[in-house]
Amino acid sequence: MNNWFRQHRFALGAALSHVRKAPGSFLFNVLVVAVALALPFAGVTLLDNVRPLSEELSVDPELSLFLKADTPRDQAQALAPQLQRILHGSRAKVTFVPREQALASLKEKSGLTDVIETLGDNPLPDSYVMKLEGFTSRADAARVDGIAEQMRALPGVDSVQVDSAWVKRLAALLGVLRLALLLLAVTLGVVVIAVVFNTIRLQVLTQREEIAVSKLLGATDNFIHRPFYYTGALLGLCAGAVALGAVTLALRPLNTAIAEFARLYASEFQLAPLPPLGMAGLLAISAGLGLVGAMLSVQRHLARLN
Amino acid sequence: MIEFQSVSKKYSDSASTLALADVSLNIAKGELVYLAGPSGAGKSTLMKMVAAIERPTSGRVIVNGQDVGRIRKAGIPFLRRNLGLIFQNQRLLNDRHILANVMLPLLVTGAHAAQAEQRARAALDKVGLLDRALALPMALSGGEQQRVAIARAIVNRPQIILADEPTANLDRAAADKVIDALHAFHSVGVTCVISSHDDEILDKAARVIRLEHGHVVGGAA
Repeated sequence: MNNWFRQHRFALGAALSHVRKAPGSFLFNVLVVAVALALPFAGVTLLDNVRPLSEELSVDPELSLFLKADTPRDQAQALAPQLQRILHGSRAKVTFVPREQALASLKEKSGLTDVIETLGDNPLPDSYVMKLEGFTSRADAARVDGIAEQMRALPGVDSVQVDSAWVKRLAALLGVLRLALLLLAVTLGVVVIAVVFNTIRLQVLTQREEIAVSKLLGATDNFIHRPFYYTGALLGLCAGAVALGAVTLALRPLNTAIAEFARLYASEFQLAPLPPLGMAGLLAISAGLGLVGAMLSVQRHLARLN
Repeated sequence: MIEFQSVSKKYSDSASTLALADVSLNIAKGELVYLAGPSGAGKSTLMKMVAAIERPTSGRVIVNGQDVGRIRKAGIPFLRRNLGLIFQNQRLLNDRHILANVMLPLLVTGAHAAQAEQRARAALDKVGLLDRALALPMALSGGEQQRVAIARAIVNRPQIILADEPTANLDRAAADKVIDALHAFHSVGVTCVISSHDDEILDKAARVIRLEHGHVVGGAA
């Protein structure tokens, strides 16, 4: 085990020594890789901030059934079994919302208590809110429309609203964004691997004599390969750190602009940097991409030297 | 210790010439043997086969009881760790001081850096270059560079030293120092195989294997 650690420490030392010999070249490569990583990192940060918002919003369709204002309470409550019959076979949570409760809720959520007080009588009708579960496909959407149509025909019903459309659109948009980000990340991941591949290729060429002599002196392939692997991983790690730093710094001016925009909607939404675990994950991915690039390059170019 | 059994070697880029043709010879443990012959006689090829740098086209090369032609690729480094290789052009790494050059054979085996340094200093002391330990190879004369190569070859305490034309391009005094150093290691039981063109050195040798056009023409037994 001690020997294993010693060999790895030596390899890391050799990698750092080569970085020290050509710091300008290493720094330039770090910047190139960081530019490639910054865009997907920014995308991940954005999605990480938006995801909690979208998760709070239900994507399951919600039906709101409003009764006519003059419908007696007992007739309104008697509708429940009929609604259950129409919903037969669907998982649904049916809640009766008396007009008094609706008004209290409006006062609480809108902050317009004073205005509402001036209305005198409660203008809101009794209603039912029905949360349907498991309606996610396009065919399900048609079923929801059919259910709403049947409910509109019930006696005392004024209107029925299907409330899920915009939430679905947001979810679909986030899905598209997620897919676009994945494609972008894959493409730029390939760019990172290509940059590291070429960097290591040049390093193998410049160290050709050292590699040949080491082999003649009894160095194993692993001994020869390891410093290049460390260089690739180090390059990826440094580039990842630079990219994360740039994205985190960019949040400050962005948040200033977002704050002004969010204020218009009485919101305090701000983009936050990724949590430490997320950052560590991205750094590990960056180092992993560097390692993959180095491994591919070493396998190819050292095989040629052999 | 080293045995060639009907060994022939043909390089893929040569049309018909054999670099070695049906060579059979034995070198015993602790022996000092010189390889002589004109350029292209096969001296370097013979040495490369002992170090598994080249593999025989036919025949067997046995080193320390191991058939070199059959060693798996992964086993070659471990064979070489028992050999001390000295090249005509030294092949020192010019971007590091000579102490680091001499430490390299130990470091590739996973030796502790402090222990490697201690042994490298001892090896440099044996060839009379300890005071130049932190000099770069380019700052040394040809003879000194060759002595650094010897220190690098012996630092791992190998059983066999293979020296390919170690005195080529050296003046008489420098060549004598190099040969004296090799003889010193032979005197403590190390098997030495040295190729040379130098008649003055060959005249004093106890055993000389002569090669011509890939054939052994003398000293095989």
